[in-house]
Amino acid sequence: MSIDNPKDDNTNNTHRLTSNVKAGGCAAKMSSSELKQILANLPKAKDPRLLTGIDNFEDAAAFQLNGDLALVKTVDFFPPLLDDPYLYGQIAATNALSDIYAMGAKPALALALLVFPSCDFPLDIAAEILKGGADQVSKAGAIIAGGHSIQGSETLYGLCVSGFVHPDKLLTNSGAKPKDRIIATKSLGAGVSLLALKAGLLNDEAKSRLFSNLTTLNDKAIDALSYLSPNIHACTDITGFGLIGHIQEMSKASKLGAVVEVSSIRFLPGVLELASQGLVPAAAYGNRKSFQGNVSYIKDLPLEVTDLLYDPQTSGGLLFAVQPEHSEDCLKALALVGIEASCIGHFEEGIPGHIDIKP
Amino acid sequence: MKKDIDLRGLLCPEPVLKTKKILDDQTVTSVEALVDSEVNIQNLARLARSQNFGFKSAAKGEHFVATISKEEVAPNTAPEPPAAAKQSKAKSGVVIFISKDRFGEPVAAPPGEEHEKNQAFSLNLLNVFLQTISQSGHDVQAVLLANSGVRLMDPESPCVKVLDELKEKGVEVLACGLCLDYYGLKEKVKTEQITNMYAICEYLFAAEKVLSP
Repeated sequence: MSIDNPKDDNTNNTHRLTSNVKAGGCAAKMSSSELKQILANLPKAKDPRLLTGIDNFEDAAAFQLNGDLALVKTVDFFPPLLDDPYLYGQIAATNALSDIYAMGAKPALALALLVFPSCDFPLDIAAEILKGGADQVSKAGAIIAGGHSIQGSETLYGLCVSGFVHPDKLLTNSGAKPKDRIIATKSLGAGVSLLALKAGLLNDEAKSRLFSNLTTLNDKAIDALSYLSPNIHACTDITGFGLIGHIQEMSKASKLGAVVEVSSIRFLPGVLELASQGLVPAAAYGNRKSFQGNVSYIKDLPLEVTDLLYDPQTSGGLLFAVQPEHSEDCLKALALVGIEASCIGHFEEGIPGHIDIKP
Repeated sequence: MKKDIDLRGLLCPEPVLKTKKILDDQTVTSVEALVDSEVNIQNLARLARSQNFGFKSAAKGEHFVATISKEEVAPNTAPEPPAAAKQSKAKSGVVIFISKDRFGEPVAAPPGEEHEKNQAFSLNLLNVFLQTISQSGHDVQAVLLANSGVRLMDPESPCVKVLDELKEKGVEVLACGLCLDYYGLKEKVKTEQITNMYAICEYLFAAEKVLSP
């Protein structure tokens, strides 16, 4: 794929959802350093029933209800990342549900959040967004039970989701052990791909790979690995902070260093070439700034490769820290249910949060 | 033919696409693009690199100017944006490596006024050391800061002035990111000055001489 032949296939629509959006999807997330600054002075909840700490960068909050049950709760929303309202709804819902799966839990109940410029856009667009989201929630086996809508100048949509898990099976960022293999699902490069989509540079195959990456629920991966759960020590999903940012959060929370092998990473079609030509989202530069101080790599690693390691993912895949002798079993179990996955590195004793990138 | 283009106000990826379109014109030899963010500069640098064109950028008031030239063929390592460039910029020269926020060791004293005084004196000496180097006219390639040495970059540190002075003279001033993080200074330092242990080692091994006060 190259930037030579733009196909202006999404420029004729009169109501383009992305027309007034600067950065869609998880690329709109506040940067890690900004977040750190605004959270610094907040009181930290201390309650024995709260199973997750805000310091460990968890995907969702977990609250113990009794000896057998914990409530897992998350909220996630973002501006449109493409013009098809139904697809946008689906992607935003998949992304919000993902935080529940990333804790090893199952979603049960969802509420929708919608900000919509109803003066500028026809209402059936809002209805389509909600429909896309609702269909995805029912695909996940959960119920959508209402929501809240506001009139505003920029569209925002997402979900607040509650799920449940046995407290012993809760997967956080902090459980990884030295030598654990890092297994990642889905392909990397959604941020670069979405920028190329906006520019009309994706061919049909690349588009369908991107859309399937964005709308694949992470439920199958969690189900497929449930029989191996004692050997899975930590889990998170790869979203706005990119692969490096999320591995770094896990490695900080687990007080370990990490090694990532670039050759094992799966990329979406054409993204390396697109990135090398300058189609890199602003949030990737923000991620580079936030995380690169704790990253080392050899100097001849191509710039487009490191750009993609910092590329913000929307509705990305899961990252698992798996006991080394069970990593092959995990990959097989995931392949059986048709999930793309690969072992992309491992954790080791080292400076917490430090990532060594190998070719 | 040289072409000027104003890309301010355009959202990503428009600036890259528009610039590419102009570069595709055979009669155009160079493009000067006015953009409003550093992200645009970095993306245009990648575009130039992928085509093997020369690339230069400069700040112009609140905006930035990117110059892409077809005649100056880019060497393999350039033009990398500052954030990535430092990974490979190590070359021989004199490198000053500072791994603590003082010059030598102060005379030991129990915690208290005397201890504070000794510490302040040692920091002041370090400041004088850097000022002397800056004024001496000696050729210095880089100043590398690690561990508590990164505290010299704290905007409140007395050494900030001389570090800025060295930077203006073309000396690279780089600090270990892990250390900045540890001392809570990461948000106060410019991205292009943040580096990692790998790059620090590269500089030290490539250096003609390393001075460590």
